Amino acid sequence: MSMQQTAQTSLAGSTRLAEQQRLVRRLKLGNAVGTGTLCGIGILVALLFVGIIVYLLLQGSAYLFLPEFYSTGPIGIRPEIYNTFYILILAEIISLPIALAAAIYLIEYARQGVFVTTIHFAAETLAGVPSIVLGLFGVLAFSIYAHLGTSRAAGALTLLCLNFPLALRLFEDALATVPREMREGGLALGATRWHMIRTVVIPSALPGIVTAVILTAGKIIGEAAALLFTMGLNNPSDVFTLSPFIASDTLTTHLYYVAGPGAGSTGLTTAQETAITAGSATLLIVLLLIINVAARGLGRAIQRRVTAA
Amino acid sequence: MQVGQQVTGRTYPADRLARIVFLMCAILLIAVLVGVFLFIGTNAFRVFSEGANVKDFFFGTYWDPSGNTTVSGNPSFQAGGLILGSIVITFFSVLIATPLAFGMALFFTELSPRWLVRLLQPLIEVFTGMPSVVVGFFGLIIIIPLLQRLVGPLVGNGQTAGYGWGAAILVLLIMILPTIISISIDALRAVPGSVREASLALGSTRWQMMTRAVIPAATTGLATAVVLGMARAIGETLAVSLVLDGQQLPKKLFTPAVFFQPNVNITQYIAIDFPETLGVGRDAYWTLAFILLVISFLFVCLSRYLASRSVYR
Repeated sequence: MSMQQTAQTSLAGSTRLAEQQRLVRRLKLGNAVGTGTLCGIGILVALLFVGIIVYLLLQGSAYLFLPEFYSTGPIGIRPEIYNTFYILILAEIISLPIALAAAIYLIEYARQGVFVTTIHFAAETLAGVPSIVLGLFGVLAFSIYAHLGTSRAAGALTLLCLNFPLALRLFEDALATVPREMREGGLALGATRWHMIRTVVIPSALPGIVTAVILTAGKIIGEAAALLFTMGLNNPSDVFTLSPFIASDTLTTHLYYVAGPGAGSTGLTTAQETAITAGSATLLIVLLLIINVAARGLGRAIQRRVTAA
Repeated sequence: MQVGQQVTGRTYPADRLARIVFLMCAILLIAVLVGVFLFIGTNAFRVFSEGANVKDFFFGTYWDPSGNTTVSGNPSFQAGGLILGSIVITFFSVLIATPLAFGMALFFTELSPRWLVRLLQPLIEVFTGMPSVVVGFFGLIIIIPLLQRLVGPLVGNGQTAGYGWGAAILVLLIMILPTIISISIDALRAVPGSVREASLALGSTRWQMMTRAVIPAATTGLATAVVLGMARAIGETLAVSLVLDGQQLPKKLFTPAVFFQPNVNITQYIAIDFPETLGVGRDAYWTLAFILLVISFLFVCLSRYLASRSVYR
């Protein structure tokens, strides 16, 4: 009787053991398949990204070493390079103080509440508005209602609307890293709030602020849809002036025009069009990479200077 | 406060002025947003009092606001094809991008070794800021010739084969993948380590830990990522416009070939045709812009609602 019972339990035990082993095997297999798939996807996507960047860098790199590429000749894009940096500086001059001031208000003055929530909601909504729609808004608000026409000024103001939410968020993050005690220390020494912000908060937030400036610069350089109608696609003869009231194209809009709607009707040969498009695309990628490296390096370098000083 | 005011009364006006200036700048943001809705919204409905029919506008498929190609020479405001195009390419690109992005984000947060994370992080950041016109150019020189070779015989119209929704979907995929990946990574990172440890301590495998503990905990964050990816896809203009290259919605819709012949969407038509259209035709483009504006606004509201429901932030 007892022998039989032991045999039965040991039998049950062995089937249970076998069951458990099967379960473990199944789970291990599932785990292997699952993690394997994830690794596969991860590596695939990473290779895709690397491949695209490397391809875009290589396909037009030959043109970057041609002197004609930087001339005002048929394949020269000197006006576009000039305009890109012109509009970058103009847009940053307009938008940075405004965005920084708004961020200072939100972080230093405003109490948490309806107002701050409203601003954040507005910023998120504005960030979600497609840039082509902002471009059309720019046509209405700046080109037509403000009588700026198709001009660099209208383009820069449109870029203000486009860049405001991103700049605001980055500046807010930068200011929020400043510890509370530093502010309280400043105020306890008898400084007014604005004096404290000028002398304590902004210097300590400088690395973040510089990073924010560089990142918004990247967005401005790559932007095209918002500038298509506000800044136009053509250059006047006096393109190398500082006047904000003339129409002009940038690297991105020029690339778009030559590769897209203008292809075959620009009066250039196909080889020349290829030179412009391939070269501009590579130049844009190079600028983008420089900006990303700078955003990482410069912020850290300034932090080291500030904290060491 | 009273004493302070008496002693430093002279410095206070500057302080108050600064405060008012800062407040103005913050309010400017709201003003811009209200301005966008107001200016485009007030112009959006004019086309309907100028001969466009609301039902035809949304369901008709012949779009020619300047009336250059219509038989009668009258403009034709039928944006159904454009809207369909935007919906189709957004839907399919997000459908393909989502599993890839989630897989990449899980790999990034749960499996990848430290050194790889340090390499991948800047890569994803660079890609998030990729100019859309450069991606469009990439589509033009790589994706379209490739599709042309693959599906050319299927479509059979030689030169233009390869342009269209299929290429647009692939281009959008490149555009929105980094966006969805980086927001998903944030969502997964927001899940505290204790959730993972608890799951592993109960004897789960890594895969079970990811699928049964981490993903459910990050659901709302992951959903936000997808919604924001959609918002980006629907408004993407230049990349899509370069590879669509169409005039009208093709006649035969229900064949696979429809993905590989020149086609239309909202943003492409705005980019190509807006500067060349004047008068009544131009009013039709404000309406299209308003449609995009409303859709993107709804997406943002949805993403905010989802974010407000998430447990971990």
